[in-house]
Amino acid sequence: MKINAKHVNPFVEAAMKVVSQIAGIEVRRGHLSYKPKVEPSFGVSIIIGIYGFLTGQVVYSLDGKLAESLVDKLLAGKSPQQKKIMFLDSLGEVANMITGNATALLNQKTDQILNITTPAIAAGDNLSVHLVPKPALVLGLITQHGPIEISIAVEEKETLNETDSSFEDVLTEA
Amino acid sequence: MAKRVLVVDDANFMRMIVKDTLTPRGFQICGEATNGAEAVQKYQQLKPDLVTMDITMKVKDGLQAAREILAADPNARIVMVTALGQERMLLDSIALGVRDFVVKPFTAERILSAVEKALI
Repeated sequence: MKINAKHVNPFVEAAMKVVSQIAGIEVRRGHLSYKPKVEPSFGVSIIIGIYGFLTGQVVYSLDGKLAESLVDKLLAGKSPQQKKIMFLDSLGEVANMITGNATALLNQKTDQILNITTPAIAAGDNLSVHLVPKPALVLGLITQHGPIEISIAVEEKETLNETDSSFEDVLTEA
Repeated sequence: MAKRVLVVDDANFMRMIVKDTLTPRGFQICGEATNGAEAVQKYQQLKPDLVTMDITMKVKDGLQAAREILAADPNARIVMVTALGQERMLLDSIALGVRDFVVKPFTAERILSAVEKALI
C-alpha cells in the first residue's frame, strides 16, 4: 500500500476551515506520525470511506469532552434533549464536511471524482474499533478544548475501484 | 404565499440548519427526506417549489435523485447542498439542470441567495 504525505495537507486545511467556520474553534496542526494499523486514541470515532482514484478510509478520533464542546457550539440555543439526540449525528456531519472539503483539495482534475461514504460513528468509554489493518498517517490537531486525531489510510489507484460503502459493522462496543 | 421547500439530507443536524435558516425568512418547510429514494417519493407527493438536496446519502444518492426528479418534472428547482465541492460534481449537477450548488459549510447568506435565485 502506498501512503503519500501529500494526502495529509488537504485534511489539515479542511479541518481548520470547517471547525472554525461552524463552531468558532481554532484548530492548530500537531504532530504527524505513522502507524502500521489504525487504532483510534479517543472515545469518539468517526469513520468515512473514500473511493475513486484514491481508496481507503479516514478515521477521526476525539476526546468526549471536546466532542461535547463541539456539539454545544454547533447546537447553541438548542435544548439539552436536542443536543443529546443530535450528538452523534452532528459530529458525523462535521467529519463529512472535513472529508468532503479535503476531497475537493485532493482532486484538482475536472475529469475525476472522489466519492465518500456516509459516516459511521461510535462513542463510549470502553470502545473497540475493528478496522481493516492497513497502515495510516496519523495527524494530530490541537484545539483549546482538546485534541483531534485524523488517521488517513488511503492509497492511490490507477482505475476506479469502489469499496464497500458500509462501515457500520466494523464498529463494536467492547 | 410562502414558498414550499423539501429539505433532503441524511443528517438530522443539517436538515435543522437548513430549516432554521429558511423558516425565519418566510419559507415553509413542507417536508424532509433522509435519502434520495425518499426525496423522489416526497417530491411527487408534496410538489414543493424547491428542493435542497445533499449528495452523499444511503439507498440513493442526491445526484441520482435529482436526475429522476428532473426527468419527471423538468421545471423542478433543485439546489444541491453538499460537502463534496469537486468541480466535476458541480459540472455534472449543472448539466442535469440543478439551479445551484452550495458547498458545506455554508453561511446563511449563501444558501438564502441560492434558494432565492433558484425561485426567480
